[in-house]
Parts: sequence; C-alpha cells; structure tokens
Amino acid sequence: MPLKFRSPYTPMPMHVLHAYYESTDRSLKTLELSFDDPEDSRTFFEQFNPGQFCLLSVAGKGESALGVASAAWEGEFVRFTAQKMGTVTKALHELKAGDPIGMRGPLGNGFPLEEWKGKNLVIIGGGCAFSTLYALTKHIHHEANRAEFGKLTLIYGTRTSGLCMYKHDIASWHESEDMEIHQAIDVPEENWLHHVGYVPDVVRQVAPSPVNAVAVVCGPPIMTKFTLPALVELGFDPKAIFTSLEKRMKCGLGKCGRCNLGHKYICKDGPVFSLAELNALPADL
Amino acid sequence: MNHLLNKQSLPELLQAWRADYDVYLPQRLEGFSHFMLLGDQKIGLPDRPHNTRVPPKALFLPMTEALVKYTRFGAYKDAELKVNPRIVFAVRPCDAQAVQLLDSVFEQERYSDPYWVERVDQTITIGLGCASGCANGFCTTVGYGPFSKDGLDALLTDLGDRYLVGTLTKAGEALFEKLDLADQATAAEAFEIQHQAHESMPIAFETENLKEKLQQNFSSTYWEQISESCLGCGVCTFLCPTCFCFDLVDETQRRERVRNWDSCMFRIYSQEASGHNPRPTRVERTRQRLSHKYVYWLDQIGQIGCTGCGRCVSYCPVGLDIRAMLRQAQSLPFEVNHAS
Repeated sequence: MPLKFRSPYTPMPMHVLHAYYESTDRSLKTLELSFDDPEDSRTFFEQFNPGQFCLLSVAGKGESALGVASAAWEGEFVRFTAQKMGTVTKALHELKAGDPIGMRGPLGNGFPLEEWKGKNLVIIGGGCAFSTLYALTKHIHHEANRAEFGKLTLIYGTRTSGLCMYKHDIASWHESEDMEIHQAIDVPEENWLHHVGYVPDVVRQVAPSPVNAVAVVCGPPIMTKFTLPALVELGFDPKAIFTSLEKRMKCGLGKCGRCNLGHKYICKDGPVFSLAELNALPADL
Repeated sequence: MNHLLNKQSLPELLQAWRADYDVYLPQRLEGFSHFMLLGDQKIGLPDRPHNTRVPPKALFLPMTEALVKYTRFGAYKDAELKVNPRIVFAVRPCDAQAVQLLDSVFEQERYSDPYWVERVDQTITIGLGCASGCANGFCTTVGYGPFSKDGLDALLTDLGDRYLVGTLTKAGEALFEKLDLADQATAAEAFEIQHQAHESMPIAFETENLKEKLQQNFSSTYWEQISESCLGCGVCTFLCPTCFCFDLVDETQRRERVRNWDSCMFRIYSQEASGHNPRPTRVERTRQRLSHKYVYWLDQIGQIGCTGCGRCVSYCPVGLDIRAMLRQAQSLPFEVNHAS
C-alpha cells in the first residue's frame, strides 16, 4: 500500500547538470544537479537557506551529507563539492553530466540571515568546508541582497593554492570594491600574492572589528577549534560567532541518533550553531 | 470502565479478535518470551517469563526494514507498507511507556516517519500490569510504575483466576465491552494489588540532581570506572525499549535501502570519513548511552528516557548494572545553580 504521507527517507530524482574537478589534485569535485520534477524544485527553493545541507544518494552505495554550495538566485539547480573520502563520495566522483542521482533536502537550519541583517559580516572558511560559506557569500554579494548587510570581509585559507575552490568567483571578488577578501595558503608558493599561514593567525592579523559584526567560521575541526578563541580575543561576543558543525549522519532528520551533541542533533537543530550555544553543550565533537 | 476477564476464556477472546485484527502476544520460545503473531496454536498465558527478551518496540520499529527501493537506473521509490489493524496484547507498562517516548522521536511536526506513524495508528495496545515485581526492573525509580497507563488502550490486573480489565480508550473499551463489569469490591481489590505492586518496587537509586551530576562531570574519571569491563557488544541498547538508533544500508541484491537497528556502543557508529571519531572508546560511548537516557531526554521532552525495564541489567554478558552505575553517580560533585 502507498504510504499515507511523503517519506522523508526517499530521495528526490535529480540529474547531474555539470560535473567538474574543483582542485588541481582532483580530490574535490563539484556537481551541479537539476530537478527532474518541477514540484520538487519549487518546494526546495521555498525552504532553502544558505548553510543548509542535503543528502546525496547513489543507488547501491548509500548517502553522503554535503553542504549546498549555490545561492538560490543562480537558477534552478543545486551545487555541491565532494571530497573523495569513502564509498559514496568515490561514487559521486565517478558521475558525469546526464547521470541520475538522488537527493534529500534541504536539511538543517542554515545561517540565521534575518538575525544578521544590518550587520557587518566576517566570513572565515578553510578547505572544502568553505562550500556553504561560498553559498552565503554569493547570496549576500548579490545585488538584490547586498544592501541588507554591512561590510563584508572574507577570509579563506587552503593548504595549497591548488586546493582553492571556486577560483573564478574568488578572483572576481578580489576585484570587487564591495568586499574585503583575504586568501591564505599554509606554506609559501611561487607567485602567491596573498597571505601565507594558518587561518587563526590570518584572522588575528586581519583583526576584523567586532563592532556591529558577526563572524561565521567553517573549516576543518582543527581550524575551527583555534579560530573561535581568536575571535573571542578580538572582542566578538560568543552570541555573534557562528560555526557549522559536522558529524557522521545517516537520516538527516534527527532520528537515527548518531549526530547528537548533547540534546541537540546537528542534522536537525544545526548544523549552524553560535559559540554561545556550543558553550552550553557537552564537548562531544 | 472495569471489566472482568476469566483466564479460561482468554484463548477464545484472542481467537475472536483474529477476525478483525492481527493479534500479537508474548509466548515462550526456547526459554525466552517473545511477541508472536497469534495463529491457530494453543497459547500459554502471557505472564511467564515476566517480560519478553526483545521489547515490543520491534513491532513498531522492526530490527530490519526496507525504506526505499531503487532501480538499476537510479530511480527511487518508497518501500510500501501494509499493516493490518492489530492488537498487541499483554504489553508491560514499561514497554508501552517506551513506545510513547519514541513517538516524540518519530512523530514530529517536521519529518514524521510514515512507517512508524502507520504502525502506531493501526495498533491497539493492551497492557498487563506487573502484580509481582520483576527481577531487575526499577520503573518506580525513574518515575513510571508497574501499572502505568501511558501508551495503553486497556490495562489488565491479574486477580488469580481472572483479570480486571481497565479500559482507557474507546478502542480499548470496544474490545472488552461484552465482558461483565467488575463490581466495586473487585475494582478495589485490583486497586490494592496495583498499589502494593507500586509500593513493593525498590528504589534502585536516587534521581534527585542526577542529571546535573552526570552533566557537570562530563570529563570525570567516573566514566572510565563504569565502562572498564564493557565488551561493547551493544545488547543493552538492542534490547532497550527506548533505544531507537538506526543505520541506513543499501542492500544491492534486493535493490533496497534498509533500516537496521544500530547502537551507540559500537565504534563505527560515530566514526567519520576523515577517520576522526568523537566517541573513540567505550568510555565516551558509555557516557553517551547513560547521558542520553538520564540527561538528553530530560532536556528534550522533560522525561527520563529509561523506563526501568531492567533488560540491560538482565542481559549484559559481564553483569554491568545501570542501577549500580547511577548509584555511583550520586556521589559525584555538582553545583546546584550551574547553568544547565
């Protein structure tokens, strides 16, 4: 018998629109997906908020949670960047334009953009975790939304220049008068014109003002661990510091149990939390 | 309404229900009691052994179940579900309470689970109260009881050669309406049995400030002490009536995405693709299990997420006892006004 209401476990049918490598070492691949069913597209974009994630599904392999790396204004597609790590992400890397794929989402809370309106934004990303911050930056930088926010500062670090994602937009943002961008790599390279060093140190060096500002941090756990205190040192209130967390996930709906942090589920109640919220939760990351 | 049901006429009544319902009741099999679908077989009374090994949560959240079917070409559809109207008979109050707790996980405003909801909607649950205490149970310690009515449509009290049937919902009443009503004296007798049963349950540990103590001692060596002999077999979670964690696995032969029970006591449960594991040893995993029941459930819905059924105590292969763990927790230091 058919189910009485739509199962949140069943993926929506999607197709790969574009698939391309994001990094020179081919460890990162970007997929842009289109909706097979216009109704799915409609409901997706009704709910979508930058900072949310989806579960990408490869039949026979399983599902992987990935942050959405596109802004709604870009069109009726959804972008993800997957690092090749395990069974599912390996399968994702083998997909090419025209291949079918399943998707569930958007899931999670996303960034509290309403709360941030009128504030200066300091966006700090590291490595491939930059994907949702890229979606956020694209959303804010768009002419339709830009006036709602104050000064925009972007700090983005990667191990090497080859691992820098979304190079086209990053290059154009360096030219933009509308935002301040600081790029960093971990070790020196020839012809590198930007910062060399780890993200927490670059944050200290750039020293963004905490006045009427919020900071958003998303990166590998080790980067986040050292960047959050750097922001506190600079005078940012824990309520004005945000980060997006990740844990192993299966359902994405707050039911399968494994991504809990105290009484919160990262999938359902997060993935975006303020430092003030995190300070009240157990250190179970 | 209070009715009287002779034990002798129980098999007949159960068989009569089969015309309209699938009937499940605990039956003894290979030394353990299990919830089984009633067929034409001769049945035994459902009161011994005291409780089933696998809790009746398995009737709502099966150990394994297909949720999604997919084709070779990557198209997905819901796995279909057919649940006949059913009666689950002789559910112990601790287990009925547990199903009600699990409702808060699976039936939510956002993301309700259609499989869980359908099974619950199709089920009438008849409880059998525990007139005599069970071996390792501690229901009254955690705020529930041997005759708790939560999650039940009717509750039976054993009066020797008959049951007093207290019906609690319309659906429950409809099943028993043809039976004689109990007179006042019999109802009073049953009430006294219920009262005595409640009073005779030992208080296994104090729950006052227990949440604060566990919460504030997150980094204490207490967790090492209580987890040292744990084998990590996961039986405490598999047989727990309130544990609901699951895995989703693609079974390629059947082309199905399957939900299987999982356990926070397993290392791979929280192991991330990068190799990082937030709960790498039994210490963190034991802390997660106890904190979930005695801290996180309270933060989420204001109730302890353990109904005191005692299965984790009875079936632990190395004799770990949650009651002893929590008695030990009572001596942990804590601050009353700590922000929690």
